[in-house]
Amino acid sequence: MSTTVAQDRYAAEKQKFQELFDQTEAANQQSAHPLDEYRQRAMTLAGTLDFPTRRWEEYKYTSVNRILQPDYAIGQAQGMDAADIQAYLPEGMDAHLIVFVNGQLSDSLSQFAELPAGMHVMLLRDAMDSDRFGSIAREHMDRILKDQDDIFVALNAAFSQHSLFLYSEKNVACEKPVYILHLSTNAETPILNSHMNIAVAETGSEFAYIEGQFEKPGATGTYFNNIYNRVTIGANAHIHHYCLQQEGAEGFVINRVDAEQDRDSQFSNYTVDLGGRIVRNNLNTVHKGSNLTTNYYGVYFGKEQQHIDNHTFIDHAVPHCQSNELYKGIVTDSARGVFNGKVMVRKDAQKTNAFQQSSSLVLSNKAEMDSKPQLEIFADDVKCSHGATIGQLDESSVFYLRSRGLNDHQARAMLQHAFIAEVLEYFKHEQVRDFAEMLINQKFEQ
Amino acid sequence: MLTVKDLKVAVEDKTILNGINLEVKPGEVHAIMGPNGSGKSTFANVIAGREDYEVESGSVLYKGEDLLEMEVDERALAGIFMAFQYPVEIPGVSTSNFLKSIVNANREARGLEAMNAMQMLKYIREKIELVGMDEKFLRRSLNEGFSGGEKKRSEMLQMALLEPSLAILDETDSGLDIDALRIVSEAVNKLRTQDRSFIIVTHYQRLLNYIEPDFVHVLYKGRIVKSGDKSLALELEDKGYDWIKEEVDAVAV
Ligand SMILES: Nc1ncnc2c1ncn2[C@@H]1O[C@H](COP(=O)(O)OP(=O)(O)OP(=O)(O)O)[C@@H](O)[C@H]1O
Ligand SMILES: [Mg+2]
Repeated sequence: MSTTVAQDRYAAEKQKFQELFDQTEAANQQSAHPLDEYRQRAMTLAGTLDFPTRRWEEYKYTSVNRILQPDYAIGQAQGMDAADIQAYLPEGMDAHLIVFVNGQLSDSLSQFAELPAGMHVMLLRDAMDSDRFGSIAREHMDRILKDQDDIFVALNAAFSQHSLFLYSEKNVACEKPVYILHLSTNAETPILNSHMNIAVAETGSEFAYIEGQFEKPGATGTYFNNIYNRVTIGANAHIHHYCLQQEGAEGFVINRVDAEQDRDSQFSNYTVDLGGRIVRNNLNTVHKGSNLTTNYYGVYFGKEQQHIDNHTFIDHAVPHCQSNELYKGIVTDSARGVFNGKVMVRKDAQKTNAFQQSSSLVLSNKAEMDSKPQLEIFADDVKCSHGATIGQLDESSVFYLRSRGLNDHQARAMLQHAFIAEVLEYFKHEQVRDFAEMLINQKFEQ
Repeated sequence: MLTVKDLKVAVEDKTILNGINLEVKPGEVHAIMGPNGSGKSTFANVIAGREDYEVESGSVLYKGEDLLEMEVDERALAGIFMAFQYPVEIPGVSTSNFLKSIVNANREARGLEAMNAMQMLKYIREKIELVGMDEKFLRRSLNEGFSGGEKKRSEMLQMALLEPSLAILDETDSGLDIDALRIVSEAVNKLRTQDRSFIIVTHYQRLLNYIEPDFVHVLYKGRIVKSGDKSLALELEDKGYDWIKEEVDAVAV
């Protein structure tokens, strides 16, 4: 895929990551841990991989150049109390909280105890040490690094110090969601925050976890959140994964989810993306057993200079599976949106039911939207539908609302909100839905 | 209330209203009838503030102000209400949220305090009863999937909630069965006051059995070619429009 020119393109940037890694290792006071071995391996692997250029089909509309330019450092621990994070939690939601500030785990705000029986949330480091989870944790790390061709995942594995391991035992239903909050505040240097979650639901179990990525209002720093999720859903199990992003004007995000589903299972991903300077979400699911369901519900809203790119992939490899995908977004000012939804229906995946819809509103002349459904169907007995619309607000609706006394701004906000609300209806957890709605409304009012 | 003088309006260079004169005083009910395509909806839309039309000449004064200079929402807040012939469906906007927003926007414009959730619910319930609507519509998206009659009632509900000074009803009676027609008419009659005026566009004399107009006007080829009292409506019902067309066309030749 890469030519000689492309290989050289980001050589200097790659070198900077290597140096940062060496510095961190030199400063590392802790005694050697098996995880550090993996991190070393991951860094070596990263050295052999290339950063994507716009010549790569998958990065045609999104250049990572800006993301790679700052001289990143690892964040320092910051004092933060419960009151400081209240604004980033869904109101009334009882959740197990894990908090990172500028990429550093906040011990005082995070709760690893008091989980219901059969639900486990711990540092990957500790999981590796434990008799019970050691081999599972290692197996996942091995698989993440094996044949890995994504340099961002390799870098994530190299730099992620506080990777989390989430695990539900067989037939355990955990009512209380886990909420992983990433908060960015002002720092002296650009901050690199690398974080990995390994989530595993055993047969017949169910849990929800929410990732919140926010910049504190008033902060202006440059930072790069490189987040990776590996999600494994066992037979007849269900994982709900929420991703709420509201990054700063100089916040960069590369986010990747690799999900793998066993038979009769469900995986539901809910993404609310209110942007950053550049946000790239990669959401991938592979089907390993029949009669399972994959749900992708996404909302995005870009303003000003924001760039939001959602790349999704569903790999229908076995018969009798279903996927539902609904993405809706708004871009205005000079914002740019990208949606690429790939659905692969392999030869054996007969009786597949795949539905995909992507709709966007482009509200200014300078805003841009590229939407590409990509259906590759190799089975003949399937039901697949897809639609992509890019449009403006319906002016006769604007007129109608104004004829009742709402001003132009109110009328448009009401219609934009309605456009997006359709997706939020599918959010399983009401408090998250209300929270997402509140965040979106705030952005309308800005 | 409303004074229209020699109003000429065009769409895409085609003159549709060709010199309308009309005076509506507080408390009056004016019916406007006329054959299809004569310009009735155009007239109603120009008063409500739709921008697709080009006013070529003439003036419209509303409560002494130059109406044509006002934005559509300003007109609404100044007390003009238009019940549309074809209300748009707006998926995703819940009817109840919409009603709350418009009631409070109008209250604010009148210097009244916003209603809280309890007061609002009570107020909406009261008016819902007035127009004979089912409360379950509140939970649905605005006009989405409503039948023709339900859309018209939703328009009447909005009118009742906003208590306008001048209400324009564009064929609110079309497509309603007798029961629905009676309910809508009763709602209008209950809202009739000394200060509130109505312009009712209709094809059918039937409605005017329930809502008694003070004046009936016939619009033809963009002009009011005949005005009279309610007996004119009965005459039209009897004889159709041909005799009026003949009169007008004969003069034109
Ligand atoms: N937006 C528009 N663009 C082009 N022509 C229009 C537009 N609106 C109205 N017209 C034309 O103007 C004329 C008058 O239309 P209007 O809808 O006002 O008639 P009407 O009296 O309300 O008819 P009906 O009884 O069928 O409702 C018609 O010839 C119509 O085609
Ligand atoms: Mg009409």
